[in-house]
Amino acid sequence: MKQRHQILNDPRFRLVYDEHRPFTEAPAPRHLRLNREGFTLAPGVKKKTQVYPGMLLATHPSMEKGDLHSSVYGVISDINVRSIFIDSADPADLDGSVRDAVVEPFDLLASGLEGDALIEAVKKLGVNTKSIGKKCDVLVINGLNPEPGVAWAEPMLDGHCPEIGAAIKLLCRIGRAGRLILAVPEGTVIDSREFDGIEIAYVEPEYPNSIGELLIKRITGIELPEGWDYVGIHNVWSLGRVALRGLPLMRTVITIGRGAQHENFIVRNGTIVGDLLEDAGIEVENGDTIFRGGPRRGEGLDRLDRSITKGAIGFFLMKAGEVPPMDGDSPCINCGACVHICPTRIDPRMLSRYAEFARFDMSRKAYFGLCVDCGLCGYVCIARRPVLQYIRLAIAKLEQEDAIKRLVPIEPIGRN
Amino acid sequence: MSDKKQVLLAVSAPPFWHCGRTIRSFSLHTLLALAPAAVLAVMQWGIPAARVMALAMLAAVLTETACRRAMGAKMTWGEDGTSAITGLLLAFLLPASAPWWIVVLGAAGAVGIGRMAFGGYGANPVCATLVGWALIYVSYPLPMDASATLLSTDLIDPLAKLRAFGADAVGLSSLDLLLGRQLGGLGAAQSGAILLGGIYIAARGIVHWQIPAAFLLGTAATASVFWIADPAAHAGPLFHIFGGSTMLAAFFLATEGSCSPHRVIPMWIFGLIGGALVVIIRTFGSYPDGAPFAVMLINLLAPMCSVIPTFPFGYRNGGRR
Ligand code: SF4
Ligand code: SF4
Repeated sequence: MKQRHQILNDPRFRLVYDEHRPFTEAPAPRHLRLNREGFTLAPGVKKKTQVYPGMLLATHPSMEKGDLHSSVYGVISDINVRSIFIDSADPADLDGSVRDAVVEPFDLLASGLEGDALIEAVKKLGVNTKSIGKKCDVLVINGLNPEPGVAWAEPMLDGHCPEIGAAIKLLCRIGRAGRLILAVPEGTVIDSREFDGIEIAYVEPEYPNSIGELLIKRITGIELPEGWDYVGIHNVWSLGRVALRGLPLMRTVITIGRGAQHENFIVRNGTIVGDLLEDAGIEVENGDTIFRGGPRRGEGLDRLDRSITKGAIGFFLMKAGEVPPMDGDSPCINCGACVHICPTRIDPRMLSRYAEFARFDMSRKAYFGLCVDCGLCGYVCIARRPVLQYIRLAIAKLEQEDAIKRLVPIEPIGRN
Repeated sequence: MSDKKQVLLAVSAPPFWHCGRTIRSFSLHTLLALAPAAVLAVMQWGIPAARVMALAMLAAVLTETACRRAMGAKMTWGEDGTSAITGLLLAFLLPASAPWWIVVLGAAGAVGIGRMAFGGYGANPVCATLVGWALIYVSYPLPMDASATLLSTDLIDPLAKLRAFGADAVGLSSLDLLLGRQLGGLGAAQSGAILLGGIYIAARGIVHWQIPAAFLLGTAATASVFWIADPAAHAGPLFHIFGGSTMLAAFFLATEGSCSPHRVIPMWIFGLIGGALVVIIRTFGSYPDGAPFAVMLINLLAPMCSVIPTFPFGYRNGGRR
């Protein structure tokens, strides 16, 4: 691989951990913070409303985004434009109607729904369907851990594999992809009873092969082949969980990591990270960094009252001094390391500078859209520039620009 | 939860894992790679060589600090080690007999004009060390001439001799050259030690190995052409590789990141042209050692090399986006 010449072979690039422990159910959170941006609140959901697990809180107008359900018994303590806050409570303290409310399981597999009707049912059960419902010739289920440090993919392929099996049945019924391929790490032993009838592709479990575009290249040998698309196994597993239980999606699987240790947890949607750390017995001190997502591409959090939401893949703590600090002012020293390592052969060196100096017009000429967000450029930058962040900034700015261009000016209403 | 809110977290942008290499660690490895040549130089020339090297490094660091102050940039005392390397590389090109003012002038020119005038480390279009070197070499050829030390040594300058008397008269084997038994820049002449150091930094990934490989290949190939044409007048490929400062140029001067290409094919072209220029300048130019000039010339060529188009991901396939 390219990076072997470039950087001293980093064992952390391996994406397999021989991790087969079943997922641990995280303790019930005391507070929840649910993201409601873009959602429409369900009727009757307001401050002080009492909620029960599985209760519909908000719907999303898009077919691609799963609806939002409460994951605990509790009381809504606040609602603002971005979040719904819930204090969990003992069911005994709640009104009888809430305490005794039962969510009727809906068996997707037995329902006989197909195609768009099935997508809608899945969405109503809280699963994001953007990737699941992709229309393509071949849909690759990415069974690799998405990035180093995140470790739930292997258990999903063995101990927790019934979910995947169920999800595959549903994917076939959704019928938007002509063919399904499950990509798994080389050497994985697959239980053929669970994965009946699906093509398996074996891929070297080395980052960045877990990035969808690069994974497809590994499988086909072609870069961006027409008609191929991918979906992450995390998303598929959530679909399977909903299919097996018939209840709305209220939990997400994340890896909680600190230093070299990691463990997988099933966490309720909206769990506050501070609670999570406390329950896990992890001490946070001044100067530490916590982030949601993975170590390559995750998102740094500024406060302990942020939360883990659906689709989050991990949560990590890094002690102060574990990596050289990122230096936003650091000028590019033209070492070329990022150019050398970029798997899409674009020029992160120039792209990061264009963004730094707000020359977004130049980013367009430099194929900014090909970036697959792997973060290797920032990983190798010896000047510790936030290279990936600069590129993301350019992408966001240019998307905004394009969106504005698409606007049609309103004709002034004639006075005559 | 309640009191936990007080913790002050450090927020950063991804990636949160880093390869751990920094400019400073690169510099330290480079200095380590240059150390054997420096030690051999001191063994050969004694205290004067140590004096030149120390003075050049000190002057380079002080110049950087002074320039930073004048530019209003963050003050450092050369902590990242890059200006010390520039100073040391410059010293490697000087004779042990170089007077102090030449050393200081060269180092100040290298860092001040060669680097800081362009904005600092990594912004220079031409190898900073060579800017300082050219400044003093062209202005004051006499004290820069290693032959001035001729009286105090039995060593001979192979390139001067080649120029004056032809290949047969040189009388130095490749082994002599490799072991530094030649007259030239005090460190540059230690070809063997430089080669060792060069292999070290290439193996560590601090420089891309393609550039030195191409540079040496270019030198050898061009020298072979001349040599086969007329073995009496021209020296062989090994002579050109081990003699003078070719080795230093290939591994340490031509590889400076800001003035060399970063993609594989351009790197090979860049190096091959550089290597060819070494021999051409040595054969036809008016300066005996062509290596530093060759590097300066290819530095100017680097932007051209980078124009060679690369096909970004999926491009050959029509590109989906
Ligand atoms: S994140 Fe960086 S290295 Fe990865 S594709 Fe984008 S520019 Fe290239
Ligand atoms: S790795 Fe960093 S310093 Fe080197 S060229 Fe890329 S952005 Fe510049």
